[in-house]
Amino acid sequence: MTTSDHVVVSKLTLDRFGLWLFILSETGLFVALLAARFYLTGFEVPEEANQVVALTITSILLASSGTAYLAEVASRFGDSALFRKAMMATLLLGLVFLVGVGVEWSEAFHAFPPSTLYGSSFFFMTGMHAFHVLTGMIFLGIVYRMSRGAPASHKWPVEASVKYWHFVDVVWVFFYPALYLIN
Amino acid sequence: MRRTGRRRDLIITGIVFVALTVAGEFWVIRTDFHPMPASREAGIVDGAFDLLMVLSVPVFAFVIAVLGYALARFRVSHGDADPVRHDPRFMWGWLVVSAGLAIFSIFNPGFKGLEELRAEPNADLVIGVTAEQWNWSFSFEEEGLTLEDPEELVLPVDTRIAFEVTSVDVIHSFWIPAFRIKVDAIPGQVETVLTTPTVTGEYEANPMFRVQCAEMCGTGHARMSTAVRVVDQDEFDAWLTGMRADA
Amino acid sequence: MRAIAPLAKGLGGGILGYAIGGGIFVGIRALAGAGQPWDLTTVLVGGWLFGLVGWLLGVGVWAHWARAWFGWPLRPYERTGWQRYFAFDTDHKVIGIQYLITFLGMFFLAGLLAVLMRTELMSSGRDVMSPATYNSVMSLHGTVMVFVAIATIIGAFGNYVVPLMIGAEDMAFPKLNALSYWMIPPVFIFLFASFFVGGYDSGWTAYPPLSVTNEPGQVLFGLAFITIGLSSIIGGVNFITTIVKMRAPGLTWGRLPIFVWSILLTAILAYLFSQFVAVAMIMIILERVVGTVFFTADGGGQPLLYQHIFWFYSHPAVYVMILPAWGVILEVISHCSRKPLFAYKWAVGGLIGVTSMSAIVWAHHMFTAVPEPLKEPFLATTELISIPTGLVFLSALGTLWQGRLRMTVPMLFSVGVLFNFLIGGLTGVFLADVPADVQLHDTYFVVGHFHYVIVGGGIFGLFAAIYYWFPKMTGRMYSSRLGKLHFWLAIIGFNLTFLPMFMAGLQGMNRRIADYLPYLEPVNRWVSLAGFFFGASFLVFIWNYIRSWRIGERAPDNPWNAYTLEWQTSSPPPLHNFSQPPVVVGDPYCYGEEDAEHAVVGERVEA
Ligand code: HEA
Ligand code: HEA
Ligand code: CUA
Ligand SMILES: [Cu+2]
Repeated sequence: MTTSDHVVVSKLTLDRFGLWLFILSETGLFVALLAARFYLTGFEVPEEANQVVALTITSILLASSGTAYLAEVASRFGDSALFRKAMMATLLLGLVFLVGVGVEWSEAFHAFPPSTLYGSSFFFMTGMHAFHVLTGMIFLGIVYRMSRGAPASHKWPVEASVKYWHFVDVVWVFFYPALYLIN
Repeated sequence: MRRTGRRRDLIITGIVFVALTVAGEFWVIRTDFHPMPASREAGIVDGAFDLLMVLSVPVFAFVIAVLGYALARFRVSHGDADPVRHDPRFMWGWLVVSAGLAIFSIFNPGFKGLEELRAEPNADLVIGVTAEQWNWSFSFEEEGLTLEDPEELVLPVDTRIAFEVTSVDVIHSFWIPAFRIKVDAIPGQVETVLTTPTVTGEYEANPMFRVQCAEMCGTGHARMSTAVRVVDQDEFDAWLTGMRADA
Repeated sequence: MRAIAPLAKGLGGGILGYAIGGGIFVGIRALAGAGQPWDLTTVLVGGWLFGLVGWLLGVGVWAHWARAWFGWPLRPYERTGWQRYFAFDTDHKVIGIQYLITFLGMFFLAGLLAVLMRTELMSSGRDVMSPATYNSVMSLHGTVMVFVAIATIIGAFGNYVVPLMIGAEDMAFPKLNALSYWMIPPVFIFLFASFFVGGYDSGWTAYPPLSVTNEPGQVLFGLAFITIGLSSIIGGVNFITTIVKMRAPGLTWGRLPIFVWSILLTAILAYLFSQFVAVAMIMIILERVVGTVFFTADGGGQPLLYQHIFWFYSHPAVYVMILPAWGVILEVISHCSRKPLFAYKWAVGGLIGVTSMSAIVWAHHMFTAVPEPLKEPFLATTELISIPTGLVFLSALGTLWQGRLRMTVPMLFSVGVLFNFLIGGLTGVFLADVPADVQLHDTYFVVGHFHYVIVGGGIFGLFAAIYYWFPKMTGRMYSSRLGKLHFWLAIIGFNLTFLPMFMAGLQGMNRRIADYLPYLEPVNRWVSLAGFFFGASFLVFIWNYIRSWRIGERAPDNPWNAYTLEWQTSSPPPLHNFSQPPVVVGDPYCYGEEDAEHAVVGERVEA
């Protein structure tokens, strides 16, 4: 062993590790929301929940994970044009998802407002999730903007924001059945 | 030479430990840490506390003996100590004894005390208690009497009483120090606590005879208390009749 | 002027952000057709996120970091000397000192609040303030102190010492590190600002429905808690990554100094559990702003749900307060006993045991509220947690035994921790026993318990750390005589203050009361006077600390002749800590062993 092999772990290793830790920590947040929902309202789902919209936005969000993945692959291969297209698609799908949530909300306000028990959980969970979608979109937007110059030099920001985006999707994969399907 | 020195260290510390334990136990057993017990529950609760005191004394004495002896004897201004990193007898001994004590205390006074507290679930008198910022109301359902924010609560001695406690606004806690009973008053929920007063007494003579709110409930929390008077059955009946006539 | 530019920009950004955020929320209310769009609570909450972001951007995130996201060149504040401490500096040593000074200041402020409380409690009846004011002062004292206890050792010494101890150049994410520090000032601004909007009287535990119906100061409390939670999570990620990934070659887990272990485990706790308190606080805020009914019985909600979430975080949080202190004292005891840490593996096991068990004991704070069947399991888990705790004592006592003790100031404080925490821990065992807790719950017995563990354990441990690493941080030595004087005044004052609280509790004095019955006057007067005495002991510290930092005599690099890495570099260390990358070759506590060596810095190259 020589003194030259100093502590230098590659920055990327640290970044990856840190990101996974962060995601694990966020998981705790959403677990708390799920736990509160089941503690308070058991498996109850109101009749009025708009299943059609819910299913639609779920598929949209899943699709956006696909385009995000495409963007990541494109950036890895230095295909700047494809990267920008896929990223833009992801952002748009995210936006549509948020609009969908807005539609859900405007109906929910009449069917089960926050002053009902189910409504409390519903608005808290969807709101918290939508907030994360929004931050995810801000990250993706920054990455998109950075890519105007040289996409090749920004592999880590791309990877990080896309991973985060997948995570936000996965959360929805748990929230969707918890809010709409379980009965 | 060194070895005998070490033995001496152990022996002296052992003696100090035993002496401290004996003195401590003597003190603990002789001292009454509690206000006058006035209910069946008080005996169980105080008993649990006293047993824990008895169990803590040797733990405390041991740590203090070792610590004190080390501080007194091993202060040196030069040189390093013998690098002793392990001593399996001491380590396993510690682990076994501390685990033993912990597990023992789970069962006694822990589970045993809980069992005793739950042993007599049938009440002869049921009193509804409603907490509100910042006073107490009591309702004697069967006796047909409701007292809103009364001056005092009168209870019969040697009667099994169930308090059914709830709140209309924030969380309060229903506590009668003399009886060693306490249960939270939670909106939307009724919590039951049972007690049997064993001696007569009143607030003026003994301030432990009071209903005291024990959970932070806002500005008036400190003053949210009601006097308690425990009387014999005849006096209680007379009091009931009188109150009903007034109402 | 130059010195305060970053702060001024931060404040400007914060205020601007607050205005924007508050405006948006008021706008939403107006659109939603609320009768009165100007609702104070709404503005306070609405401005928070934008205000926080504005403050952070202004104080340095924009200039040091965010500009790059937009393809613009960074414009970091180039500061030297003392001005670095007022800027967004990414050096872990600067951040450590920022944490230390900030939190010491908060500790003294909250201590002065305690002095106010004790003045009111000098005698029965109303003395100096109304019950409402007392309740706010009490809540603020508790909250600020809890934050001090959670963050000071890990923030100050975790930052300053851990990278040095593991032979790293800095933390894994220096910018995130600065970010988590700069989230702290808003926390305290919010807390103290709560006074101006009615304060909050719910204590640091903020149980609903009270915390949903009281003054708007309560939401500032919630926002402060969320903010410090965010800061802890970011800091936790940073510490875990640093310790797991950046240890010097040869620094295996089995050779890791115990203090680093304690910080690692603390970071894990803080980072795994802080979300839960954030959720609890958000729910309170939603309840107040949006009208949800999580905890509102009339709408079908359950007040107890809050307590479960809150304590699920806050019990682990009490170990966040104590684990670093244990790390400090075991470290100090080994170095000052000139003896290897006794039963190192068991001590580490004890720390890990406490860490993992801390998640399964929370309902012991709710014994007077939970359904009967929950009592036995939580009683049992709580009693069991004293077994891993005991291993810390085992290790400390085993190290002292047959050691060659140097009774330095940090050593005195470490021994003080053992004594105080023993009392605090044993009284915890009483509280864990449900039959006994029925009477003791919410009395001064509990107040005595937690001051013994937090102040007698955590804060005494903090002072052990301050006195131990002072020469490293400042390059100067303090007056040991004054340090010892501080210790003796403190430990005597401390015990005189808090021991009688157990008596008060047993005599039926409940906590969080502005006034008590006359029969409790003697014990309370005693506690108050002793409390003033204890408080005054810190004047000795303040004098010694400031004077020594300014004109103390120069300290050698390694005044304690310790083996751990932080002492193998200059005092204070250079920018990247070591002149040459260190290599670890042995145990950090190799006192008394032949040819023992923990680490080589630079010169020698081995096969
Ligand atoms: C630093 C913070 C800290 C620490 C370390 C602890 C440690 C412990 N605490 Fe404490 N506690 C608090 C901070 C802390 N606590 C606070 C702030 C509150 C009040 C919150 C509020 O309501 O505001 C509180 C309240 C509190 C309660 C609720 C009381 C009530 O409201 O009714 C309980 C009940 O079980 C409890 C128990 C314990 C136990 C069993 C330990 C154990 O970890 C202690 C273990 C240590 C020892 C036992 C001593 C050393 C061990 C040995 C020498 C080995 C041999 C010993 C045995 C086998 C017994 N604590
Ligand atoms: C780190 C934790 C910590 C610390 C250090 C303290 C320190 C003290 N605490 Fe605190 N306390 C808590 C944590 C802490 N407390 C918590 C969590 C609560 C519960 C709140 C709740 O119920 O929600 C509480 C509650 C609490 C109560 C119960 C209130 C009630 O229930 O009504 C009391 C009562 O006496 C009290 C007293 C004291 C005293 C006398 C000190 C003394 O140690 C203070 C000593 C004084 C100083 C340290 C000041 C030194 C200042 C100077 C020397 C001047 C120099 C100043 C400048 C230069 C600015 N505390
Ligand atoms: Cu009611 Cu406190
Ligand atoms: Cu606890």
